[in-house]
Amino acid sequence: MSDGRGHALVLRGLSKHYGAFTAVDKVSLEVGQGEFLTLLGPSGSGKTTILMAVAGFVAPTAGSILLDGSDITPLPPEKRNFGMVFQGYALFPHMTVADNVAFPLRVRRLSRADRDVKVRAALDLVQLGQFADRLPKQLSGGQQQRVALARALVFDPALLLLDEPLSALDKKLRAELQEELKALHKRVGRTFINVTHDQEEALSMSDRIAILNHGKLIQHGAPGALYERPRTRFVADFLGKSNFLEGIARVPTARGFTLEAGVHDIAVRLTEGEAPPPEGKRSLLSLRPEKIGLLTDGATAENVVGGSIVAWSYLGAGYSLRISTDTLGELRVVLPAWQASFAPAEGLPVRLGWSADAAVLVEDDAP
Amino acid sequence: MSDSGRPGLGWWLLILPALLLLLAFYVAPIVQVLAVSVTEPEMGLGNYERIFTSGSVQRVILTTLRICLITTVFALLLGYGIAYAITLASPRMKGWWILAVLVPLWISVLVRAFAWVTLLRRQGLINNTLMESGLISEPLPLVWNEFGIIVGMVHYMVPFAVLPMLSSMREIDPRLLAAARGLGASRGDTFRRVFLPLSMPGVIAAGVLVFIFSLGFYITPAILGGGKTLMVAEWISLQILDLIRWGLGTMMATMLVLAILVTLAVFSRIVDLRRIFGSGA
Amino acid sequence: MDGAHTPGPFGRGLAWATALYLVLPILIILPVALTDQRYLSLPQDGISFEHFRTVLSSPEWLGSIWQSFTIAIAATVLSVVAGTLCAIGCWRISRRATDLIRVLMLLPLIIPSIVYAIGLYRYFGPLGLLDRFAGVVLAHGVTGIPYVVITVSTALAGFDPRLEQAARGMGASLSQTLRWVILPRIAPGIFSGAIFAFIHSWDELVMVLFIASRDVFTLPRRIWDGINENLDPAMAAVAVLLILFTTLLLMADRALRRRSEG
Repeated sequence: MSDGRGHALVLRGLSKHYGAFTAVDKVSLEVGQGEFLTLLGPSGSGKTTILMAVAGFVAPTAGSILLDGSDITPLPPEKRNFGMVFQGYALFPHMTVADNVAFPLRVRRLSRADRDVKVRAALDLVQLGQFADRLPKQLSGGQQQRVALARALVFDPALLLLDEPLSALDKKLRAELQEELKALHKRVGRTFINVTHDQEEALSMSDRIAILNHGKLIQHGAPGALYERPRTRFVADFLGKSNFLEGIARVPTARGFTLEAGVHDIAVRLTEGEAPPPEGKRSLLSLRPEKIGLLTDGATAENVVGGSIVAWSYLGAGYSLRISTDTLGELRVVLPAWQASFAPAEGLPVRLGWSADAAVLVEDDAP
Repeated sequence: MSDSGRPGLGWWLLILPALLLLLAFYVAPIVQVLAVSVTEPEMGLGNYERIFTSGSVQRVILTTLRICLITTVFALLLGYGIAYAITLASPRMKGWWILAVLVPLWISVLVRAFAWVTLLRRQGLINNTLMESGLISEPLPLVWNEFGIIVGMVHYMVPFAVLPMLSSMREIDPRLLAAARGLGASRGDTFRRVFLPLSMPGVIAAGVLVFIFSLGFYITPAILGGGKTLMVAEWISLQILDLIRWGLGTMMATMLVLAILVTLAVFSRIVDLRRIFGSGA
Repeated sequence: MDGAHTPGPFGRGLAWATALYLVLPILIILPVALTDQRYLSLPQDGISFEHFRTVLSSPEWLGSIWQSFTIAIAATVLSVVAGTLCAIGCWRISRRATDLIRVLMLLPLIIPSIVYAIGLYRYFGPLGLLDRFAGVVLAHGVTGIPYVVITVSTALAGFDPRLEQAARGMGASLSQTLRWVILPRIAPGIFSGAIFAFIHSWDELVMVLFIASRDVFTLPRRIWDGINENLDPAMAAVAVLLILFTTLLLMADRALRRRSEG
């Protein structure tokens, strides 16, 4: 199995029920060779259950798991040859760093000499060579995390499974390790499956993200595509922040349509291949706060609405504004600080504008 | 006790009744009687010389140590099995397993010894059943010997072995076991390389506890030994109640207390007694 | 987790065998007590309550049961009062200062009762406490203190010391703080301790063998004589009654703990 390249994994109609509770609901997903896939969702979305099913710790109620085309669903965890980094790392407290990393080799009955070579290589890979003889409790959180990575990679696993690998670390260290993990993925070229509830982590590390909610796969795709073209209200809201505009679709054409939101008409341009909603259908738009601009006097845009600032906060790189509009209710706007040619103040009248392709038509899956 | 002016004093007064009771009616009687070992029949260490010169004293010490070690080994083995099952059982089964351990723990030691006599004696249930089924023609000597003592003592000690092992096994993160499986370890490997080493502190604590409890055990050996196999506690009682040899009896009592305290001191680094008893109650 | 670590066939077999070894000998007493024969055996032609009737109509057995019960009640009161106050004091005063007291409290659990029994035998003589109700109560009560200290300390471990400081800060005296703030919170712990102290006294034999002879003749003492002299099914009936009684006490303790947790 150790050809040094990634392997492809396929989930086919995977379900898991606990009594009447459905933890995972008919999830089908393909993970390509060498891909870094992140399962993203709030707690209880089923993402961890899916990972545990892939690892072999949870027996699916229905569906199957295929590795390079062969069904591995009935295999016990120790026969799957997957590396796994557990939440909280699960390092063996009674073994040194080197013994921890050597463990998977030892249970595979490798000779001591082979073991030593591989352990050294794995520890060097995560830059912990000099800590081989320490006990886990003598290491910092970040170091422990790297030992867990080395241990999960040392036996050339077919896949690397990561269960919230960074959740136990503080914010700054987390950002650092995100980059490191991504670089490690490039270096070893293996298929990584990562589980997290942290959208920033998912966006920064993954080749592809699968978004889950209530056990269902909602949408999957590259981080940019998901962020730019969310398919549902949940995706738009969970991945970043968004304003939502509700109204009735009017005059649909192949190029776009108008959303009649109360007294206000919003122009929407569609992307290639996107179908407009039928005339008169109640529809929902997602509009990212950073896609709305503040219009200077005389300037104009495809969509314009007047209003005044209700609240504002300074974020260093920019401003976050809450604006009460005359006709569209309250909108959130994020503005790069260098673009703000004014000092924000509560009650200040403003004009907002955005282009017709800024808003995205989404399905309303709110409960 | 309300307004003593000094805030700490009231709290100290709370301790006083228990402290005085223990000093006056626990520590004092013991110290007084242990002192007898160097004053009767005459001042000096004469009684202690008997350890080196008297065959019967040596025999009772060796018998006691042998029985205690065998008891400890079996209690640990059986207790480990049950503690392991409890730790890994589903929450619903856990309650039943724990009941199987706690109920014997709190049932009178006399009742338990009586139950074993009923089962093991010559006309007991086991011998009768075996004779009726034709497997044996003569009753087996199951009681009033060392075998009977060990059967009864192990039965008494298993719960005491289970509790410290259980509390140490409970601290083992189940994710470590999952991690071991995920890294390719079989069930046997996971047990041998991860679970067993992590549970060792509990095993040692249990061993110490069972051993020191066994050393001074009186009722079960007295009933199931039938007076033929003497352990120190019964021997002490014999010296004092029947032979009125206070010096010899208290010498052995002193040795018993010393043996227990030394065992505890040696293992005090590993064994936190307070925690053991805390989890037992 | 379905793929979680579980015991293998050997581990499972060992655990079951041990559980049976622990429980079966105790359960076997029930049919023996219900035997229709006049000697210790399983029922032959049907069950009979004759032996229970014998025990419950015997003045000796009833007298011993009553004596054991009153001794255990009195000893429990002594253990609970002294033990609870001590546990609270130790909890409030710094750990190091009370370390010696904590160790002292463990002695009765560690030192074999035979050593204490011979000590009392000699100590109680001049005090006139041999074969006296008060002597046995004192012995059982003192050795029962550790059980109460342990359970109450456990209950106190989950108790925020700032509550006590807050009460004192609002002007409550020590005794008011005890009665209104601390005791209600640790009542389940005290009750557990009381049950254990009661069972300790109720079952205690070794001390009684030395410090009581004729006037004080407790239930364990009568059972002891019975086992050594005449093994008859009445003994099994007594054993069954004892098992039922202990089980009832433990169930009461369990129910109370569950209520205080839930």
